[in-house]
Amino acid sequence: MNVPALIVSLYPPGVRQRWGTEMVREVAASGPGSWPDTVIGAVRLWTHPGDWPETASGQTRRVLSAALFAEAAVAALLLRAAGPPRFLVAGPGHPVASAWLLLVLAGAALAAPLPPLRPGALRRLAAVTARTLAAPALALLALYLTARSGLVDHPARPVHFLLLGCYWATLAYVGSRACALVSRIGPIAIMPGAGRLRPALFLIGAGFAIAAGQGLASAVHPTVHAGTLALSCALATLATAAVTAAHDLHAAN
Amino acid sequence: MHGNDAQLLVLTVLANGPLHGYAINTAIEELAGARLGPGSLYGALARLEARALIEPAREAGDTQDKNRTMQITAAGREALRAQLEQMARVSRVGLRALGEAGA
Repeated sequence: MNVPALIVSLYPPGVRQRWGTEMVREVAASGPGSWPDTVIGAVRLWTHPGDWPETASGQTRRVLSAALFAEAAVAALLLRAAGPPRFLVAGPGHPVASAWLLLVLAGAALAAPLPPLRPGALRRLAAVTARTLAAPALALLALYLTARSGLVDHPARPVHFLLLGCYWATLAYVGSRACALVSRIGPIAIMPGAGRLRPALFLIGAGFAIAAGQGLASAVHPTVHAGTLALSCALATLATAAVTAAHDLHAAN
Repeated sequence: MHGNDAQLLVLTVLANGPLHGYAINTAIEELAGARLGPGSLYGALARLEARALIEPAREAGDTQDKNRTMQITAAGREALRAQLEQMARVSRVGLRALGEAGA
């Protein structure tokens, strides 16, 4: 894939399907100087779902649901990479520190596709789910069995890096397949409408914003911690994206 | 270029008749002396279509052309007229002020 096609692939599906071919031509003709504007355009459109043209009925809702779960998956990977940090540990013993997670979970529950009530559709839903999640489930099982086998307790340095790479690749793969599942079951399941997506995005945005705030407070006191600061900025970016999209969805309806 | 400027330029060139994306940008280049970046152009097209100020052209040939060639709607003409009249008022006042200051 060449660079113009790669940049255009960053756009929401509706925009890509409507104007993708001529966008690639335009980016290629304009040269590298046009790349920043094109990338900024993609970011702007992702945060303005009300502007997406629909090339299929219900496309915006399906894509937005998948994007919402993709954002949650990215946040989960970031938190896993960070530790998870002490200031974000959730549980009954830390009710205040758990508030962000409760909001994110409530948002995800609100945006989750609901199973259809017809037996035929339910069977198709089960088949699509099994097909999409079979490979990631096997990958997770392999990862678990490898960790439990005792074969890799004290690996040599190259093996250690290889295992680390496999671990992160597996987690990223599982996250991407979970998002693909939301996208694939779109035509079968009952997808959330704007009435559910808007509060879901606001809740998830609020959850990430609180987590980012807790992180920032912890990152600068008592000493500045660069890793925590970076994690907080990433969470704040996710929060901004979710809230902006929710606001735009509200304005568009 | 500001998003609203890009939308105004797109509406202005579409007021002459339906065009597809590349032709819209060529017309903008002739009008304003510079092409819009692809992100600004297609962002403006998406925004204008969402606001029902432009729409896919009806008389275009095949289905793909129908999707790519855009035309201004009646609401788009009204919005463009209102914005141009406002700009003309600002322009008149500004030029008069400059003339008085220069005198």
